[in-house]
Amino acid sequence: MLPYLDAAYRYARWLARSANDADDVVQEATLRAYRSFDDLRGADGKAWLLTIVRNCHLTARKQQQRRNQVPLPQDDEDQGGEMVAEMPDPESIAIRQDQQRMLRRLMSALPDEQREVLVLREIEDMDYREIAAVTSLPIGTVMSRLARARAALRMRWLQEAQGEPHGVR
Amino acid sequence: MACAENLRVQEYFDGEVDAVAAADIERHLSSCEECRVLLQDLQQVRTLIREGVPRTGMPAPLRERIMEALDQESRTVVRLSDRQPAAPRRSRPFWIGVFSGVGGSAVAAAVTLLVLVPVLNRSLTTEIVADHTRSLMSSHLIDVVSTDQHTVKPWFAGRTDVSPEVADFASQGYRLLGGRVDDVAHHKAAVTVYQHGRHFINVFSWAIDSAAVPQDTTRNGYHLAFWKVGNLAYCAVSDTGWPELQGLVRLLQEQSARDLPQ
Repeated sequence: MLPYLDAAYRYARWLARSANDADDVVQEATLRAYRSFDDLRGADGKAWLLTIVRNCHLTARKQQQRRNQVPLPQDDEDQGGEMVAEMPDPESIAIRQDQQRMLRRLMSALPDEQREVLVLREIEDMDYREIAAVTSLPIGTVMSRLARARAALRMRWLQEAQGEPHGVR
Repeated sequence: MACAENLRVQEYFDGEVDAVAAADIERHLSSCEECRVLLQDLQQVRTLIREGVPRTGMPAPLRERIMEALDQESRTVVRLSDRQPAAPRRSRPFWIGVFSGVGGSAVAAAVTLLVLVPVLNRSLTTEIVADHTRSLMSSHLIDVVSTDQHTVKPWFAGRTDVSPEVADFASQGYRLLGGRVDDVAHHKAAVTVYQHGRHFINVFSWAIDSAAVPQDTTRNGYHLAFWKVGNLAYCAVSDTGWPELQGLVRLLQEQSARDLPQ
């Protein structure tokens, strides 16, 4: 379980609307995983932990909605800046950060259901079976959502890049 | 409008198809412009994300907070189990009694051992600590993931020449995570991996010919507890405190004692 804390954190950051929410979700998920470790039984540890992260996130969001405290979307922007700042890069930091921020914004703008499969596939490098396990979706649905997510992200990125003279390509 | 093979091309791109299907799709690609473009688009999106999204790790303060919470959790578990009627405990490892009656004739041999053993031990402890730290740094911590002793124990058969004590002590705060095989003193050692709070404990076991195992020691900040059952040497190594490490050692020794012929 401990080897997958980074993956759990990254996933939570993409699911939750704010950094604070993500922190709480990961901590809750880790403790829950620790308590129910016996359920793992030879299953893939990473998929298992991310499944718990996802469930914790859904529970937390439901509670938030019930309290009618849905955070403002501007949280996403803050989140983007923070995540980028944690990764130092000596060469052309400014341009890179611009691109990273844009990409983050584009991905955050995807519907939740598309974003989560895209994150699991491209950032956590999971195969369809693992993604299906984490999201409790049939593999066919994973595939179609993944296709939609990729097409949507590419289209939005092209639109942005055209709109910006400094954009790449 | 869209080619019916789009999803299959995506499967191909994601490495989800076998060689036969891959050849099939490659044939299709050679004749379908739309799917060739799709393949490029998929690659473009992948490059975009993999280069554009930093693979952030968990920030240290949060990690620390979670580790604290895990430690708290495992302490709670231990306290609860202490209140239950405890199994008969041996206050001292039972093999100490074996050596208490050693006759004078053994003294010469013992002296030789005292001279030789420290040199051997240094390399042995170095080796075990290196194995332990390497196992934590790489993904090679566990080869067989299971909390079930009846899965882990048979797994060792055929991979090592030893069949060590394996049991899950989750209710006492020591979770069995699984096992792997490592080299110790030119033997294939069976390694069982436990988690206690935030800490991992590796328990090495291998067959030895010599009479004695090294004394408990601390090396590079890691505690190593040695014991022996029959001709099987055990070494539990971890960055936990001594009491926590000894707790697991005691549980394993009690388990061995129950398994001994009456």
